[in-house]
Amino acid sequence: MGALGHYLEDEGIATVGISLIRPQIENTKPPRALWVPFELGRPFGPPSNPPFQRRVLLAALRLLERQDGPVILEDFGEDDPRARPDSAWIPPVAARGNATGGDALAAGLEAEIGVLQDAYLRWIEQSGRTTVGVSGLAPPDSARYVADWVRGKSPPSPQEGYSAPLLMRFAVDDVKAYSLEAAAAGNVRPSSRQLGDWFWEESAAGAALHALRETCLASDDERLKLIAGNFIVPTARVRTAV
Amino acid sequence: MTRLTDLPAAQAKRLAEAECPSFETRPWVNGPALSRRRVAIVSSAGLFLRGENPFRGRDADYRAVPSETGPERLLTSHISVNFDRTGLQEDWNVAFPLDRLKELAAEGTIGSVAATHYSFMGASDPLAMEPHARELAGRLKSDQVDSVILAPV
Repeated sequence: MGALGHYLEDEGIATVGISLIRPQIENTKPPRALWVPFELGRPFGPPSNPPFQRRVLLAALRLLERQDGPVILEDFGEDDPRARPDSAWIPPVAARGNATGGDALAAGLEAEIGVLQDAYLRWIEQSGRTTVGVSGLAPPDSARYVADWVRGKSPPSPQEGYSAPLLMRFAVDDVKAYSLEAAAAGNVRPSSRQLGDWFWEESAAGAALHALRETCLASDDERLKLIAGNFIVPTARVRTAV
Repeated sequence: MTRLTDLPAAQAKRLAEAECPSFETRPWVNGPALSRRRVAIVSSAGLFLRGENPFRGRDADYRAVPSETGPERLLTSHISVNFDRTGLQEDWNVAFPLDRLKELAAEGTIGSVAATHYSFMGASDPLAMEPHARELAGRLKSDQVDSVILAPV
C-alpha cells in the first residue's frame, strides 16, 4: 500500500494508509500511515463493532490535517477485543471420521457441505450476505469440483474463461468461506483462531484441503505446484512431516 | 494471531523483510480541513463485485466499487491465504469501511464520500501497479476526490 500512496500523492491526491506490518512502512515511507496492532485481514479492527472501527478510521483521517510531513507514521493504541476466544462457541457438527486416502477424504468433504447447509443458510439469514461465490459455482458444485481434485482427478473447468487450476483455487476459496460462515452462524462470536483451529484441524473440508495440497505438490504440473504450495493452506497451518 | 510477532517466525520474517520499492522523492499534498474533504477508499483486498471479473493470479490493475454497492455484492479473490477472512465475512467494514465513511460524512466530520471506490490485489508487483494507480488518480480527480484512505489486508 505504501507504493500506491506514493503514486497517488505524486499525482496530487492526499493519502493516508493503514499499516498492519510496521517494518514495511518504515521501509517504504509513505506520506502518512497509521500502524494498527490487528490481525492481517482486519485493518479497521473487529467486525460488528462500529465505534471501534470509527476510532481507527478517524485516527487515520486526522493525519490528513497534519502539516508536519512527509513522512508521518503514528501507532493506534487499542487492541482488537475480538482476538480473544469465546468459550461459549461450540464447533459445528462435522462429518469427518478418520478418513485417509483421496476417495474417503473427498467423500467426507462432500458430506460435510451437506451437513453444514442449515447452518450456512442461518448465516445468510442473520448477516444478509455471503462471501461464497468467487468460483461462480453453487456450494455443492464447488465442493464436488474440489473433491474430484482430492480424488486425484484433473477435472476440466466447467466455467468458461477459467482454467481448471484457477477454478480449483476459486472453488477452494468458496469451500472455506462456506464452512467458516456456517461455523460462525448463531449468537456466539468465535475468534478467528477458534474458527481456523476447527476448520484446519477438525473439519472434513480442512482434512481434504491438506491432502489436496500434498497431491498437487507431487504433480508434474508446475502451475499446480505453485497453487498447492502457496494458495490452499495458510503457512501457519501447513502440517510438517513427523 | 494478532500481530506480526504472533505469526510463525518464517512468515513474520518474510513479511517484515518483503522487498518494497524505494522512492527518491517524497510527494506531499496538503488540503483543506477534514470537514471539506471528499474521501475515497482504495483497498488492496482483491475486492470485486459478484458476477464481475475477479482478480486472477497477480493482476496489477484495479476494480471499481460504486458507493451505492451493498455488502452482499462484494467478494474477494485475493491470492493470499495468509490473512484472516472471517472478519470480512461477518462485516465488510473491517477491510472496506464504507459504512463508517458514510457516517462520518453524514455528521459532517468529512465533507463527502466519493461516488466510487477501488480495489487492487495487494500481492501484485507494486511497480506493475504504477501505471494503473496513476490512471486511477485521473478517475479520482474526475470525481472531485482530494483524499484517499488506503486499506490493506
